[in-house]
Amino acid sequence: MKKVTVQDQGVVEKAKCHAAAIGVAMKESVYPLTATVQYPRQRKKMPDNFRGYILFDPDKCINCWECAFVCPANAIRMKEAPNKKYYPTIDYGKCIFCHFCIDSCTDGALRTTKIHDVAYKDMDEMVTLTEEMIEPPEIVREDTKLVEYLIDDKDLQMKKTREVDNLFVDEVPPSVEIPVVSQCIDGASCIGCHVCEYVCGSGAISSSIANGVMNMAIDTDMCTGCGLCVKECTMQILKLVRK
Amino acid sequence: MHDADIKACEEVIKMATVAESKWEIKVPDKPLKDKVYFENLKSVVIDTEICSRCLTCASVCPGGITVVGDKVDFPDYETKCLDCGACVRVCPRFVYEPLSGMGPSTAFIAGRSKRFAGQDGAMVTELIVSAMEMGIIDRGLFAGRNENWETEMFHVRDPEQLAITTLSGTKYTFADVLPELKKAVKFTKNGVGVVGTPCIVSGVRKLQQEYPIFREKIKLVVGLFCTENFHYSAISQYLRDKGVDFSKLVKTDITMGKFIATMTDNEVKFKVKALEEILPSGCNVCCDFTAVEADVSVGSVGSVPGFSTISVREPIAQKILDYIKKQGYAEFGEGDPGQLGFLVGHKKKRAENLKK
Ligand SMILES: Cc1cc2nc3c(=O)[nH]c(=O)nc-3n(C[C@H](O)[C@H](O)[C@H](O)COP(=O)(O)OP(=O)(O)OC[C@H]3O[C@@H](n4cnc5c(N)ncnc54)[C@H](O)[C@@H]3O)c2cc1C
Ligand code: SF4
Ligand code: SF4
Ligand code: SF4
Ligand code: SF4
Ligand code: SF4
Repeated sequence: MKKVTVQDQGVVEKAKCHAAAIGVAMKESVYPLTATVQYPRQRKKMPDNFRGYILFDPDKCINCWECAFVCPANAIRMKEAPNKKYYPTIDYGKCIFCHFCIDSCTDGALRTTKIHDVAYKDMDEMVTLTEEMIEPPEIVREDTKLVEYLIDDKDLQMKKTREVDNLFVDEVPPSVEIPVVSQCIDGASCIGCHVCEYVCGSGAISSSIANGVMNMAIDTDMCTGCGLCVKECTMQILKLVRK
Repeated sequence: MHDADIKACEEVIKMATVAESKWEIKVPDKPLKDKVYFENLKSVVIDTEICSRCLTCASVCPGGITVVGDKVDFPDYETKCLDCGACVRVCPRFVYEPLSGMGPSTAFIAGRSKRFAGQDGAMVTELIVSAMEMGIIDRGLFAGRNENWETEMFHVRDPEQLAITTLSGTKYTFADVLPELKKAVKFTKNGVGVVGTPCIVSGVRKLQQEYPIFREKIKLVVGLFCTENFHYSAISQYLRDKGVDFSKLVKTDITMGKFIATMTDNEVKFKVKALEEILPSGCNVCCDFTAVEADVSVGSVGSVPGFSTISVREPIAQKILDYIKKQGYAEFGEGDPGQLGFLVGHKKKRAENLKK
């Protein structure tokens, strides 16, 4: 076994440390400052990209189902709306708040809030229908103070301000855009059904027949990378690739 | 990074490099020029009653070819057929040149699995499960059945699923193997193993010939010897009339020219010849008994009872059989190709029906 030797800090350094410890103890006894946020009277300040309750804007949805496909918890189900379009519903009994759905949504129809405290009476109520996702949920606000942790290299401090936080993120923080376009990865397996062409809303896919051969083409400048064709392709041979 | 991650990255890079924004598709010939392809298929194959009901067409059709009654059909083709021609490209009977005979064979043996119970020696099940163990495929398609003996397709991904004992064993009714194969091809990572009658095997080969995606993903094709199969409505009615109680039925078999329905408390036996009245028209023009295009064909005739007859055609099948032997999963014996002579000849004669 090896003996661990502690480096001698010297008398002066030791005295300094003791003095600091006594100082903190005295300060705490007069003005106790715990590290705990006194929720619900206080609320922690969340960053703008906090993964909270999800809101939905049907006007921005292009019905691509990407959110439902990407959800690793299978929490999103698409339901038919009276306008014959399919919109997402979220089962918060399943949702793990990864927000992959929000990240996958090409047109920003899904967006986050800083709401993390919705209460439900039973599991059924946790299934949140599309119409319930448009407006923010009803929550009880008792908070009067906003708490922020300030962390520097020495210490952690709590900054409390008499303020009621806005839980809605109006301006979504810009994410790094990676431009993608649809491309065919196995042209020989294409059956020439034109399904891709029919679903593309930007008219990026075209076809023409000449001399017993059908020519298919994707215009990479027109393609917005929405992925609808990739999802609908009969033979699953289209992929989104980086531009 | 883990090896798997690196592999996944390489895969993505590989895919990215083959991605293209322009590609060509061959447009098949149309005998009826001003009609959509489905009408062509209908007039050449379905209305002439040579359709085998293999459902190769349905497996690729993006519009909606299905089975209506006993016939392959596309009820609303006038509005829904996209006229892509995929159906006529893959239909093995659109340009029908019937195959027949014993086909190529590198070994002709008999085998009995020690692990599974099946129709004969359960070698079909053994081949698929062993291929899965060897990592050649990650799923095998089985035609199971419900309590009314209607076929249902299953993706077997773990040998434990074979605890459902109805997955092995022969069902003398058509199964929707190929539409399910398309799904399997979509989901598989390593490859798919598929089992089917000769018409299904021909469909698989057509798909592979036409579209690389099927060439790459289908790794093992096991053919079954087949004289004929039946439409569910016809055979179930026939058996009920003969006094077969489906709730007690455990096995159906055809041996020595007799159809035998074994029930828990009884047995119904009659000459197969009697079934001629319900013989599907597609089978009536089918000449392939041994599934000559399969990687390996398995049947009952050609070996002693309790054993499966195995005709090995491709090296991949031999490799799996070598593995089975090495692991001691099955016992092997001699197969007698001579015993197949009668049935092979019987089916060859059906080419004459084609002329009619
Ligand atoms: C319709 C039909 C007719 C046959 N006719 C003959 C014949 O005349 N002479 C002969 O020697 N052998 C015939 N066979 C083959 C024989 O019945 C056995 O299937 C074969 O010997 C394999 O036995 P096994 O114990 O090795 O297979 P098992 O291990 O029992 O596996 C059977 C496999 O067959 C598949 N299967 C069962 N029914 C169907 C179906 N309807 N469609 C597609 N796949 C199916 C199952 O999914 C399973 O994978 C026929 C098979 C079928 C399906
Ligand atoms: S990914 Fe591009 S080509 Fe495909 S549907 Fe969207 S815009 Fe059209
Ligand atoms: S949807 Fe797929 S299979 Fe159909 S034409 Fe487009 S790329 Fe080809
Ligand atoms: S959609 Fe295509 S595959 Fe289906 S019936 Fe029409 S031409 Fe044939
Ligand atoms: S033979 Fe097969 S592919 Fe051809 S029409 Fe009939 S079911 Fe379809
Ligand atoms: S006899 Fe067998 S292989 Fe031939 S068409 Fe009928 S089921 Fe298919």
